[in-house]
Amino acid sequence: MAARPRVVAALAAQLRDLDAAEEAFAEAAERCLALAELPRDVAAWLFVAAKRRALDGIRKARGEARALDALGSDALAEISDMADILQLPDPIPDERLRLLFICCHPALGAEVRAGLALKVICGLPVSAIARLFVVSEQAMFQRLTRAKAKVREAGIAFELPARKAWPERLGAVLLTLELAFTAAYADAGGELAADVGEDLGAEVERLALLVAELLPEEPEALGLAALVLLARSRAGARLDARGAMVPLSRQDVYRWDYARIAQARALMEAAARAGRSGPCQVMAAIQLTHARRGFDGVVDWSAVLRLYDVLLALRPSPMVALSRALALAQTRGAEAGLDALDELPAERLALARPFHAARADLLAKAGQGNAAREALDKALALDPPRAERLWLEARRAAL
Amino acid sequence: MQFMLMINEDESAYAGEGGAALMEQVLAGHMKLAEDLVAAGIPFSGERLKPASTATTVRSDNGTVTLHDGPFAETHEELGGFYIIDVPGLDEALEWAKRIPVPKGGIEVRPVWQMGPQG
Repeated sequence: MAARPRVVAALAAQLRDLDAAEEAFAEAAERCLALAELPRDVAAWLFVAAKRRALDGIRKARGEARALDALGSDALAEISDMADILQLPDPIPDERLRLLFICCHPALGAEVRAGLALKVICGLPVSAIARLFVVSEQAMFQRLTRAKAKVREAGIAFELPARKAWPERLGAVLLTLELAFTAAYADAGGELAADVGEDLGAEVERLALLVAELLPEEPEALGLAALVLLARSRAGARLDARGAMVPLSRQDVYRWDYARIAQARALMEAAARAGRSGPCQVMAAIQLTHARRGFDGVVDWSAVLRLYDVLLALRPSPMVALSRALALAQTRGAEAGLDALDELPAERLALARPFHAARADLLAKAGQGNAAREALDKALALDPPRAERLWLEARRAAL
Repeated sequence: MQFMLMINEDESAYAGEGGAALMEQVLAGHMKLAEDLVAAGIPFSGERLKPASTATTVRSDNGTVTLHDGPFAETHEELGGFYIIDVPGLDEALEWAKRIPVPKGGIEVRPVWQMGPQG
């Protein structure tokens, strides 16, 4: 339900308790659906109903006097009558950003932040989140419960961080979103989504766009949103009729979503105006360069290579170096690409399917069919999901 | 809200050449920190503990009590001291924790259980 993020965030901000906010919202939602007629402003109704219910709960738990102290008698007077909703100008402050910062507080482990954000802000069921991060449902439930308890007990403030802490905290938010997005995106064949009936990529896209909307002067936030939009723009082209994965350079550009591409380009232009580059923007720029194939019919590989050089400097990692090697091969030939791959730490990449797939690609281009086949075998031995497996098998058969 | 800041450090940092000088520096750092806390109006207390080698541990196992020569846990880092500060929330506690001089180790930050009606 679209109202959920705003209402839950506002409740959490006032109640200072994530669990209480979620429960109160769920109850209010149920009661709202049972009404004979939907209220004119559903979100406002939900907020007031949930808050009332939560206050009742607090009163019972702690005694009337303390409940008043905790929330301020003004707040109580404000919502004393349902009819008052119509008079209040904007009864629900936009606390979604606050909630996102809280879920991404560095005091919470990196592996739990994305899950917490998806649960509390998007309302994703725990089962879906568990499958997204490849853990059991019980393990994820425990993690989230502990995280919420920590938020409550450890003194994490329900406030936006102070401006001077912003860069570090914003970095944590963006990394969390990137992690959530990578996990959703890795599900190329939509196996996860079909299982669970949720479009996880859509949820992450919504969050990324929210952050961009709420922080329009933060170029990295805009860059991340652009990155997510561009990846999503290709959703219709990622699988062929048999369900096999189709790599980017071979996708049918008529199946790309040009509205999303345009939206991404607009975000990147806004980001460029801020004049502060960063990894998210560079990654989005690479994707945008690939997207131009839909307009020009070709990929500007030297531009892609230059961008990977920049990205590698900002974010040195074997996977980035791998992608760079593939771009290098496009401009200087397969042998040059293979040399670049040889410089990567083979032990670290031994379990990375993309590494073997990339080697196979370049070996085939260099005329080394047998070695290419071996590399594909290594990739297949690493238990790829169905869509990827079909693609790898097709490549092997074609050699 | 009260937080305890527990200083866990590797005492070997203070051994050998330059160890004494390092200790002087760290102590000066603590004095500066205390001044800053006072200047910021933050209620606090804190103590420096003698080295882990001076510790004696009373262990209790189902009613049986034994004495051990040494700290509770034999680890590289030992509890060297602590602060208890009263600040609005975790972010502030972490900011102060970052200013504690620790050549080799870490500061554990934990909220103190408030007795009586919860805030």
